[in-house]
Amino acid sequence: MPTSATSNHPSRPEDLIGRLNSAHTPYEAKLKALRDLKNQIIGNRTKKLAFLKLGAVPSVVSILSSAAAAQGGGGDNREFYESVLIQSAAVIGSFACGLDAGVKAVLDAGAFPLLLSLISHLNEKVADAGARSLKLIYQSKRAPKYEFLQEKNMEFLLSLLNSKNENVTGLGANIITHSCQTTAEQQALSEAGVIKRLVGLLGGSINQKDASLESLAAMVKENPEVSAKFMGPENGRALNVVIELMKDKHPRTRLLACMCLISIRNTSTSYLQDSGIKNSLVSVLLELLDDPGPVGDEAPFVLSSLITEKEDMQKIAFNANLIEKLCEHLNAGSYQAKRLQGIFLLLGDLCSKLECCRDRVLDLQVLNFVTEALAHDSAEVRTAACNFLKNVSRSVKNLSAGQFMNEAVAVPLVRLLCDSSSSVQIAALGAISNIVVDFMAHKSVLVQCGGVKQLVQLSKSMESAIRVNAVWALRNLTFLVSYRCKEEILLELTSATLISLINDPEPSVQGQALALVRNLVDGTLNSINYVFGEDGAVLHAIARQLRSTSKVEVQIQGMYTLSNVASGNELHKEAVMNQLLPQAGNDAEKTLVKFLQSTDSRLCTATLWALINLTFPGSPGTCRRVTELRNAGIITQLKNMINDHCLDVKLRARMALGQLMIFGSVWTWYTSIKV
Amino acid sequence: MSLFFIVIRQLAEFQAMASSKKVITREEWEKRLSNVKVRKEDMNKLVMNFLVTEGYVEAAEKFRLESGTEPDIDLATITDRMAVKKAVQSGNVEDAIEKVNDLNPEILDTNPQLFFHLQQQRLIELIRNGKVEEALEFAQEELAPRGEENQGFLEELERTVALLAFEDVTNCPVGDLLDISQRLKTASEVNAAILTSQSHEKDPKLPSLLKMLIWAQNQLDEKATYPRINDLSTAALEDPAV
Repeated sequence: MPTSATSNHPSRPEDLIGRLNSAHTPYEAKLKALRDLKNQIIGNRTKKLAFLKLGAVPSVVSILSSAAAAQGGGGDNREFYESVLIQSAAVIGSFACGLDAGVKAVLDAGAFPLLLSLISHLNEKVADAGARSLKLIYQSKRAPKYEFLQEKNMEFLLSLLNSKNENVTGLGANIITHSCQTTAEQQALSEAGVIKRLVGLLGGSINQKDASLESLAAMVKENPEVSAKFMGPENGRALNVVIELMKDKHPRTRLLACMCLISIRNTSTSYLQDSGIKNSLVSVLLELLDDPGPVGDEAPFVLSSLITEKEDMQKIAFNANLIEKLCEHLNAGSYQAKRLQGIFLLLGDLCSKLECCRDRVLDLQVLNFVTEALAHDSAEVRTAACNFLKNVSRSVKNLSAGQFMNEAVAVPLVRLLCDSSSSVQIAALGAISNIVVDFMAHKSVLVQCGGVKQLVQLSKSMESAIRVNAVWALRNLTFLVSYRCKEEILLELTSATLISLINDPEPSVQGQALALVRNLVDGTLNSINYVFGEDGAVLHAIARQLRSTSKVEVQIQGMYTLSNVASGNELHKEAVMNQLLPQAGNDAEKTLVKFLQSTDSRLCTATLWALINLTFPGSPGTCRRVTELRNAGIITQLKNMINDHCLDVKLRARMALGQLMIFGSVWTWYTSIKV
Repeated sequence: MSLFFIVIRQLAEFQAMASSKKVITREEWEKRLSNVKVRKEDMNKLVMNFLVTEGYVEAAEKFRLESGTEPDIDLATITDRMAVKKAVQSGNVEDAIEKVNDLNPEILDTNPQLFFHLQQQRLIELIRNGKVEEALEFAQEELAPRGEENQGFLEELERTVALLAFEDVTNCPVGDLLDISQRLKTASEVNAAILTSQSHEKDPKLPSLLKMLIWAQNQLDEKATYPRINDLSTAALEDPAV
């Protein structure tokens, strides 16, 4: 059956653009083409992208430009030109709606100033069209930054906010929400009386309320002064109005009211802290999680901003059965990426500090969903799932029960170590770091699925954040691990890599590397032998780092490592001794004494342990070492420490002193007899 | 006495009832009802709100002239909205889309679900008119991308496309899509979206009032026997079983 060639058939995109561009097309036909284009692209992301590629935006902008210029001449055609302005503005707005590529094209084509000029047009519909399109541009991150600090701009903004036209006031509010970022800007806006105007809008229509709430949240964010001003007497009972809006009919208004209140709460710890408001916020947001639309997608993020890092809020959320609700949602089936990300973000927040939450989450079998989430298309979902795992595995009880060291979790995690996104890699490393602290030593699972290889690979990454986390994971992996496992790890890692990590430019990496060695040499003599091999290069590197570093964390780890080595046999002790007190030069002596004189008790303690191990009775060379140490003036230093306020330091100093004195006296007695 | 009066007074009366279950005769009840005061202005506002939200422009205009009640929305905007609703109800979806975009281009751009339903309706109309080839082309060019952009639409999309697979469309499993009720559903969705964009409440107040009445009667049933309104359309008081 032949299809009828009626006007129902949309024009081919190329033809449409052709008509817009051609100088031969009569103006009436261009108007029709504009309207046609508008109706094709509105709501249709695919078509927008297709038309963008064909260069639709510059064509439309040039039509807008010539119409704006032409209608200045007035006359009969005014109405016609106004129609062209309305239609072209609408097309431009639609390209910018929710599409970053569209916003870019629109700005690149120079539409911005043209649209601005439309706002003050006498024809309400033209003003509306211009304001709407600008509003849509300002909902995108790509919108040009509005410079509030310039007086003219501030005046213009105020004129927008004072307009009677809802689209224009909405534009003003959107500009604030988008561009207000620094404290200075917040201050300037506040001083210009913007708060009062925004509070006024809270009593307006639905759209005005929503726009105003978002702007207020942006203005008070992390700014205690502006926050206080908002709640001050000149703004009436503004805070109460916002609290009332938490019960508004419209879900989006409720969500934005919560967001605004949370912004205030997080800024000034003296406001909104009573249990009534805390419970209200949690229960309103909990209910909004069920919303099927965009509000339900946003709600988890707002709730997260309320509970993150706040144990009391997490407790309230837990008692309100948030975990059960999140599980319901997971069970309900496939969600859009954003919502899934939100769910895992919240689960992560809840498990960050509270054991009861971690227990509940594991009871409800949430781990069943994690495997899929770790392999999700969206990098944000993968990251959120990793962070959740990192937090829930802080549960020592469940960790040692082996809940996490299984194939369903370990294998996809290891795969993420070579993810294309570095933030996913870092998040995966964080999770692995915790999971490998597995007291049942099921660590072979990780080794088997190639985890060690990956971790070693990442420890050579150019990004320091990745290096540090990779070494941290290796460090945790080697904690209390079997000798065989240590062998495998060191085989993969190689001494050379270990040395380069100890000498890494980042102190944080140095610290983790030293802690790694410390774990590796912990245990039997074999461990020590294995790490130091024949040439003792690693030991040398450690000692050199100890001499040069100024970071106390690195010093502590280094000293404990040497201390562990010094607990070995005679050769080991001698090696450490040579590093700490070499025959030539004074610098090394100073290091030992310097560390003992440190104000950081942890460093003193670590150094004392090294001393204790070096002078432990029973080893043939102990006497000789004692003499060397005495000659270096250690006794005096130790005597200063025997009454230290820190118990660890006090007791270890006494022990070390005791050992030194015993040997000293025995030797003196022995030599005295001899002679 | 208008039905409306009766319903509202019934509602107001419940709020003053005692707590033990007792029997209230018709006489007693009507006496109580007559003591309840309801303002005419309030009722007029409710009626106007209903007419305006549902889009009965001419009725609203006439009511305004005859009762002096001011509508809370510009009647001119109702005309545009009604034109859209009518277009959908008659199956002229493309026309409806153009009108919505003229009214406010943001509506369809920010309401993916509504836009999808309108496109879906277009497909249904093409199938209803037997334009199979055009329908297939439309489904491929316009509807498939919606499914790609948003996986939540896939199920409904499959249902709609399934219409093409049947000889006798009116009797197939997805035949309900061809009902007029589907058009009305879509029309109602558009209506609500336009109202929301104009910052107007999308639901009239009257249904809420009636729901409240039914709920209140159910609550009172536990405590007393009294003349009930069982038929909302007549608002007739039915005697309690003694």
